[in-house]
Amino acid sequence: MKLYLELIILLPLLGGISNALLGGRLFSRRSSEFVACAVIWGSCAAALTAAYSYRSPEVVEIATWLSDFDFKAPLTLYLDPLSLSLCLMITFVCGLIHLYAVGYMRDDHCYVRFFALLNLFVAAMLTLVLAENLPLLYLGWEGVGFCSYALIGFWYSDPKNATAGRKAFIVTRIGDIGLGIAIVWMFELFGTESITRLNQMGNLLPVGIVTALGLLMLLAAMGKSAQVPLMVWLPDAMAGPTPVSAQIHAATMVTAGVYLLMRMFPLIGSSTTVSAAIAITGALTAFYGATCAVAQRDLKRILAFSTISQIGYMMLGVGSGAITAATFHLLVHAFFKALLFLGAGCVITTLHHEQDIFRMGGLRHKLPGTYWPFLAGALCLAGLPLTGGFFSKDGILSAVWRTGGMLYGGLYLVGLMTAFITAVYTMRMLLVVFGGPSTPLSHQAVDGADLTENKDKRMVSGVGPLPRIMEWPLIPLALLGLGGGLLNLPEYLGGGLLHSFLAPLTGHEPTLPHATELLLQGSAAIVALAGTATAWLRYGGQRRSLRLSEAQQPARGLQAFLREGWRVDQLYDLLFVRPYVRLATLLWQRVDEGCIDDNLDRTSTQLGRFGNMLGGLGQGRVSLSLTGMAIAAALMIAWLAWMTA
Amino acid sequence: MIVPLAHVLVLAVILFCLGLICTLVWRSNVIMMLIGIEIMLNAAMLVFVGGACHWGTADGQVFALMIMAMTSAEVSLALALVVYLHRRRNTVDTDEFRELQDQ
Amino acid sequence: MNTSLLLTSLVFLPLAGGFLLLFMGGRAQTAKITALAIALLEAALACSTWFCQGAIPSAGAPAGFFLYEDFPWIEQLGIRYILGMDGISLLLVILATVVTVIAMLVSWRSITEKITLHYLLLLAMESGIIGVFLSLDLFLFYLFWELMLIPMFFLIGIWGHGRNIYSAVKFFLYTLVGSLLMLLAIIALYLIHGAQSGMYSFSLAALLGTHFSPATGLWLYAAFLLAFAVKFPIVPLHTWLPDAHTDAPTAGSVILAGLLLKTGAYGLIRFGYPLFPEAARTLTPLLIGLAVTGIIYASWIAFAQKDMKRLVAYSSVGHMGFVALGIAVWTPVALSGALLQMLNHGLTTTALFALVGMLDERAHTRQIEDYGGLWGKIPLFSVFFVLFAMASAGLPGLNNFVGEFLVLTGSFKAAHLATILAFIGVILPLVYTVRLIQELIFQKERRTLPLSDLTLREMSVLAFLALCDIYIGMHPAPLLDILKQPVALLTGGVP
Repeated sequence: MKLYLELIILLPLLGGISNALLGGRLFSRRSSEFVACAVIWGSCAAALTAAYSYRSPEVVEIATWLSDFDFKAPLTLYLDPLSLSLCLMITFVCGLIHLYAVGYMRDDHCYVRFFALLNLFVAAMLTLVLAENLPLLYLGWEGVGFCSYALIGFWYSDPKNATAGRKAFIVTRIGDIGLGIAIVWMFELFGTESITRLNQMGNLLPVGIVTALGLLMLLAAMGKSAQVPLMVWLPDAMAGPTPVSAQIHAATMVTAGVYLLMRMFPLIGSSTTVSAAIAITGALTAFYGATCAVAQRDLKRILAFSTISQIGYMMLGVGSGAITAATFHLLVHAFFKALLFLGAGCVITTLHHEQDIFRMGGLRHKLPGTYWPFLAGALCLAGLPLTGGFFSKDGILSAVWRTGGMLYGGLYLVGLMTAFITAVYTMRMLLVVFGGPSTPLSHQAVDGADLTENKDKRMVSGVGPLPRIMEWPLIPLALLGLGGGLLNLPEYLGGGLLHSFLAPLTGHEPTLPHATELLLQGSAAIVALAGTATAWLRYGGQRRSLRLSEAQQPARGLQAFLREGWRVDQLYDLLFVRPYVRLATLLWQRVDEGCIDDNLDRTSTQLGRFGNMLGGLGQGRVSLSLTGMAIAAALMIAWLAWMTA
Repeated sequence: MIVPLAHVLVLAVILFCLGLICTLVWRSNVIMMLIGIEIMLNAAMLVFVGGACHWGTADGQVFALMIMAMTSAEVSLALALVVYLHRRRNTVDTDEFRELQDQ
Repeated sequence: MNTSLLLTSLVFLPLAGGFLLLFMGGRAQTAKITALAIALLEAALACSTWFCQGAIPSAGAPAGFFLYEDFPWIEQLGIRYILGMDGISLLLVILATVVTVIAMLVSWRSITEKITLHYLLLLAMESGIIGVFLSLDLFLFYLFWELMLIPMFFLIGIWGHGRNIYSAVKFFLYTLVGSLLMLLAIIALYLIHGAQSGMYSFSLAALLGTHFSPATGLWLYAAFLLAFAVKFPIVPLHTWLPDAHTDAPTAGSVILAGLLLKTGAYGLIRFGYPLFPEAARTLTPLLIGLAVTGIIYASWIAFAQKDMKRLVAYSSVGHMGFVALGIAVWTPVALSGALLQMLNHGLTTTALFALVGMLDERAHTRQIEDYGGLWGKIPLFSVFFVLFAMASAGLPGLNNFVGEFLVLTGSFKAAHLATILAFIGVILPLVYTVRLIQELIFQKERRTLPLSDLTLREMSVLAFLALCDIYIGMHPAPLLDILKQPVALLTGGVP
């Protein structure tokens, strides 16, 4: 087991390092690509072997890392159902994304950097998932942050991309303050950093402290998982190459926050305040993401906001104590979101890096190999009945319902409403991109010129048919997305695989009566169908061209507000970024140089002047010397007189 | 002793201060400064003599004689210097002589 | 192995080598190579002390010191020549020798005039610094403390650029004011101890048990603290540092950041706290407050800098704030974290100054806005730059994280609020670091500059530092083990 676990992490790590060191010099392009993909699939194989030989949760210590007096944080890995299922998902999905990337990056000459970072990204994520103690988890956590930073800004010569990467790194790092404080605080409280042992000690503490710890971790999760109010980095993270977006959104990075909360749930879940906070954050984010997605016209931004929204669902699930449901949604979401992103990548590549959905169309016929898998992914995202997305989303909603109470009742309604909006924007995207007659791009009016900037010179114009390797990974993902429901069937259909697999971890999660369950699923299905119908009414058939001509006008009012993500970016810019920059200059020029340094300079000048003055006394004038002597003698006599008196 | 020692001392102090002020203030003329110094020395001599009278010993008077001898030597030397300086600079103003200044 | 005079040779080898250089005044190339050879020999000698850890020290050595030399020197005044090496000194001495070699290598081409003198001063400074790290007699300590000041003054004054005379004088005055007060305190300590015990001595071991009235202790400690805080530098005594760094030649910056700043922290650990425990405890809140202020304040200011070297200089102040925090709380974990952080800062900031110096050497400008798009032009340089910048921003897996994290872990118990604020201070370096990376490495080229990628010499220096960074980041255990015993002895913790 130790070997397998080591291999899971080491293979991608070695792949990244060897590519970084040898790529471009010793490796040919083919072998670079081969190494990058092979290590991920090797890691996947190791994960499968580990799953095969898995019996019970296992802790494996590999080496010492930080160890100083009573503080110990060795390189220890922990395999339990949760980390195992995530490992399988990550390695598998990332394996497919790597294959896809080979096709996607075929014209880019910076492939070495790309593949090295992509591998490291996976390695960091796997470290995060398998870590047994919090500092190690933090290592993976920050590693993921760094790799995402470098990959989002991969096409660095455009300042916009570089800024997006920078934003992602800094915003997520703001959340990390919470994690960092939680880590050192827990060490003070418990004297250990081991996750397994911390999770057993939750009930030893007063609720207040557990709440505080939980809220700190929630802050961390907000940053990494792009939850309100730290979600601003994710839509911009689209600046990276599409495989990176897929990897960030589907398999790695954004799920890290949810994973952290699930991992530490035995500890922090005992506080109802924390659960409620997590659930509220989740619901709010789900709603926020969905409303923003409705108004977007950039294909990748739609998907980005949908990710924010779906992660919100997962948080909602965690907040309702439904770890199984959240994990389930996390896995299924990984499949269909990766699928959607990769499909979007195919579309964008075919259209010479055009991302505006209102300038696409008719791709149903042009790209059948992309269309069908994409359709499957869209159905999952919209939560149409019997797809994987339907079951997983319903699992979360019924868990919220089950928790009951005013708060959770309200959250359930928010969740349901979000499901409706989700169906609307998913179908809107599908209909606008793939429906209608095919439109040659060149005849489109130049509207939204900013979007065309993404046309990259690297991609030679006149791209022929897509490389097969880009469409091929879509198929297994589509199958998994559609059939994902089988992973965790509802109780009345015989109970879920995942449910029983995760049971040792989550304990016995109560289930609803079958009738209620069916009722809830029925309402979810109706909502999804209603959303689909709404989208069809607006964008289906002939009405599509109407919307297309409407889209020529600049957005106004609510639409503009939603398109700009509720203008949160501008708000933060005004509230935080600008004051920070201004104050930095102010502190430097006014306080540091103007006050501290200047005063010292002035003191020294004064001292110098005083010295000159004293020097003036010694100018060799006899009379002055005499006066000095007289004064000195007088003083001495006075002193003597005073002493004897 | 007809005159009490205190009176002698007061007189000596007054003399000394006059000499000192003369030296400090009249610096435009070296000769006046020398005179001031002489007055101060005389004040000191007066104290010696007064003390000798008061305690009835000869030590103070011996010292007064010593001072007289020393003063005459000093004055002759000083006047020679003054003449030399006057010949060099054509002035007896002390502030004009600043060779000791660090320049 | 006979280790009887190992420490003495360690201290005086560079100085002796420096005198050797005097005889080859005209032949600059020979002098350069000789100096490097001496520095390398010294480094080898320093590394060899690593293996003396098991050695049995001579009689009379305080606990924890595995190498110890004690000779009478000026007996009338009770001044002895005492050198001793424990785990703390060991690491710092090795750092000193390594950084000196690096300083020589990075200035290999950029120094074109008075070459012999330049290397002579570097060697003299090395002697002074190693002496500071090894001496256990306060008089001797003070002697070395001043000895290392003078070469630095000339390095900045002669080979500096910009307002170099101003900066050199500023540096000199700042440190001198501090150290003169320390000299006063040393003498007062000597007299007080002598009056109490009847035995006049400057030796640290003898002075340790001295009792003071609280007020006296506070004044003496304040004098020591001032001297060390200037070197540290602790805000608000830091303003000499940006100027000195900006105007110093690359080698000067490297030594300044890599070594001189460490002497302040070392002095506080070795002399300040142990000599005046009560006073130190009284002033702990002040020191913690200043440390945290420094972390946030300096990192914030660094963001606004336009000159790369100034930016790195301010970042240096911020990083040393963590060291100050770790020392201030004086818990075992925090203190060993602080010591490790000194080492890390020495490696990382040295590398950053070297990198900035390399850019300056090629393009003759240090303004950030002149550069851009370096990744496309000089990729090798950029890789190293990103690596060290990330290390300096505290990315886990690289060395600075280990030190900072241990400091924060150790200090949380003692100072909740300060630690929480310091955590905010952890992300500020990231903000200016990614800004710097974006402006230099990313984006498009803004001006055509005559840039060429790293030479073999530069690459080997950077690769060595990078390996150190990654090694300490991933496997700090050996270093922490060395620090364990001395730190336990200092803080009264259990190793």
